[in-house]
Amino acid sequence: MIFVIDDDELMAECLANIVKNGTSEVMTFRNAIDAMNCIADGVLPDLIFLDVLLDGPDGFTLMNDLVSYPDTVRIPIVIVSSLDFANRDLSEYGVVGILSKETMTPEDIENYVNKHAK
Amino acid sequence: MCYNGGMNTEVDGILVVAHELKAPLTVLRQLAFSLNELTPQDEKVRSQMINVSERAMRQVNDLIKVHRLEDGLFEMEPVAVREVCDAVNRELQYLFRYNNRSLRLRYSNHARLVMANRELLYSIVYNFLLNAMHYSNEQMRAELVVKDCHGKVKINVRDYGPALPIDVWREIKRGWIKEPLTVSMRPGSSGLGLFIASNFARFMHANVGAVRHRDGTSFFVELPVSKQASLF
Repeated sequence: MIFVIDDDELMAECLANIVKNGTSEVMTFRNAIDAMNCIADGVLPDLIFLDVLLDGPDGFTLMNDLVSYPDTVRIPIVIVSSLDFANRDLSEYGVVGILSKETMTPEDIENYVNKHAK
Repeated sequence: MCYNGGMNTEVDGILVVAHELKAPLTVLRQLAFSLNELTPQDEKVRSQMINVSERAMRQVNDLIKVHRLEDGLFEMEPVAVREVCDAVNRELQYLFRYNNRSLRLRYSNHARLVMANRELLYSIVYNFLLNAMHYSNEQMRAELVVKDCHGKVKINVRDYGPALPIDVWREIKRGWIKEPLTVSMRPGSSGLGLFIASNFARFMHANVGAVRHRDGTSFFVELPVSKQASLF
């Protein structure tokens, strides 16, 4: 299962479609709270594509939550954002990759899915 | 409560607006990628959608940089002029071809280093060339010439199109473009690209200017030569 968390519905849909094309199951969320509630209900994602600027708690709040619990601390996260995270090491949050919304291609998404959720 | 002055509020506002403008552009770009089973004609349309959204994002990003020039983000360093111009050429070549224009680059010194910020210099050349593409008549070529000039390196971009209107010329002579114009400089332009280039050049202590021809315009930037040994 792969989570896509983005408050932009169209962007989330685009990402989800790419993930589905790779035959992986996907769930989309518009905010961090819904995603956390889903995890609390027992759905543990293999990979999360996460926007940073979200309505309500932002992506960093979610990542802080995830690294606070033993069952979620190892979930790999790919940040998908328009913000500039060049040269930032966010591995302490479980971040395995950073994609810029301005330059990423479907192949970038597929590569992360193949590497972390197959 | 603390009052941090109008300037910061203005800059913050611009950054928020820029982010809001970028969001739909990134979506448009991804939607274009999501189209599949396309005919060759559809494929062209998709490429255009991607290119147009990327160009618009670049302008938004450049506008953000204009308002963040004093934040210490842009260091001056020795920059290889040819490498920058070739990179911009590679990015814009498709657009020139698509619009039935051509672009010629000439270097009198292939290895010259200048003191500049690479990112800002890239944007200056990019905006000059985009401007030249826009204003060159169909089937005509634009030219980019790099040459040494009185101890500096001059990058000159020439278009062959409508002459610059006299009022715009006066504006440039008065102190270059200080803000985007609300009225068109030349038909179809707000002068935004030149405003961006002008600000970046001023930040790098470079001279910028324009030459009015009967059959077009040249825009140029002159940068100080780096004291570091040239590449070759």
